[in-house]
Amino acid sequence: MPSIRIPTPLRPYTNGQSEVAINGGTIGAALADLTAQHPALKPHLYTEGGELRAFVNVFLNDEDVRHLQGAETAVNDTDRLMIVPSIAGGNTSAPLQKVDHTALRVNQACIIGLSIVAFIFNAPWLAALVAVVMAYGTARQQPGFRALYSGFLKPRGWVQPDVIPDNPEPHIFAQGFGAVVLAIGAAALLAGVSTLGWGLVWLVVALAALNLFGGFCAGCAVYYWLNRLKAPGFAKAPPPGTFPGMRPKA
Amino acid sequence: MNLVIPLDAWRLLEAHLEAAYPNEGAGLLLGHANGQGMQIELVLPLENRWQGEEQYHRFVLRPQDFVFGEAEAEKRGLQLLGCFHSHPDHPAEPSEFDRDAAWPNFTYIITTVAQGRVTRSRSWRLKEDRSGYTEEKLLISEG
Repeated sequence: MPSIRIPTPLRPYTNGQSEVAINGGTIGAALADLTAQHPALKPHLYTEGGELRAFVNVFLNDEDVRHLQGAETAVNDTDRLMIVPSIAGGNTSAPLQKVDHTALRVNQACIIGLSIVAFIFNAPWLAALVAVVMAYGTARQQPGFRALYSGFLKPRGWVQPDVIPDNPEPHIFAQGFGAVVLAIGAAALLAGVSTLGWGLVWLVVALAALNLFGGFCAGCAVYYWLNRLKAPGFAKAPPPGTFPGMRPKA
Repeated sequence: MNLVIPLDAWRLLEAHLEAAYPNEGAGLLLGHANGQGMQIELVLPLENRWQGEEQYHRFVLRPQDFVFGEAEAEKRGLQLLGCFHSHPDHPAEPSEFDRDAAWPNFTYIITTVAQGRVTRSRSWRLKEDRSGYTEEKLLISEG
C-alpha cells in the first residue's frame, strides 16, 4: 500500500501522523482516500470549487505530479507520495501601472507657459481656460493637455515617451487639485481681487515647475499622506522605495 | 499563543528583510511548541522565488525550501513552526492574498519595512475555518 507524507502544519488533522497509508490507483483516488480518512484536511488541500489549492504540491517519488499527469498519474504500491506546501504571500497593493511621465511633463509645461502668458497679458480668461482644461483632464482620468502630446508632439518625435511603473491616480488627483486652485484664482481675478488671484495662479505655476524641474509632485504627496491616514478613495501607496511625491526610479 | 524569539535570531530576521527591500523577503521559523506557546530557536532566511517583476508585493518559497526546513528541524530536534515575510511600505497585516495561500497551525510573522528599515512586526495564525487570522503575541527575548 502506498503511503503519503503529511507536512507539519497538517499533522494535527492526521492525529499527529507524518505518514498515512492510502489506497487508490491514481493520485486523484489516493488524495480522495486520504481526505476520506481525515476529512479535516479537505478545506486546506482543496478550494471551495474542489480544485487542488495553488500552493499545495503533491510529489510522487520526488517529482511534482503537475509535471506528470496530474490527478490521473498512476500510483503503485511501492510509491511514496508527499504533500509539500509552497509558502507564499504578499501585500494587497495592486501591481503598479505604467505611467508616461513625458505626457505629465508636457501637461505641466503647458500649465506653466499659459499661466505666465495670462499674467503678462493680464488675461484672467486664459487662466480660467487652463483650469477648465485641467478639470476636463481630471474628469477623463488623463492629463488635460494630453492631446497636444499624443496627437502632435509624440508622433513628430519631438519628445520621447518616458514610461515607468507608477500609480496614475495621484497625478490625476494633483491635476484636479491644481485645477481647483487655478479656478479660484481666476474667479478672484474676475471679481477684481487681483493680488489673491495672481497669487493663486503663481502658486499653481510654482508647484507645476517644482514637478517639471524638480521631479516632486506636491499634489501626489498630499494624495499619499491621505492614503497613510486611510482616507477613503486614496487606495494607492507610494511605489516601493519612493519618497511620497517623488518621481519613481525607472 | 505567545511567540518568543531570541534577540540574535530576531536581528538576523530583520537584516534579511531589510536587505530584500524594496522586494519582499521571507524565511522559515524553527523551534519548540507546547500548550503555552512557542519558542523560536532558529531563523532560516530564504530566497524569494516569486517569478517575474512583482517581488515587491509577492513572495513564494519553493516546495524544496519547505522540505529543507522540515529536514533541518528534524536534524536539530526542533519543529517547523512558521514563516516570516515582509510587506515593503505596507502594514504588518495579512492581505487577502496571504489568507488564500496560508497554512493552518503555522505562524506568520509579517514585518513592515518602511523606506528600507524594519518598523513593525506582528504575528498571525490562520483560523481553522480559514475565515481570518488571530493575532499572536510576539516577544523578543534578550540573550
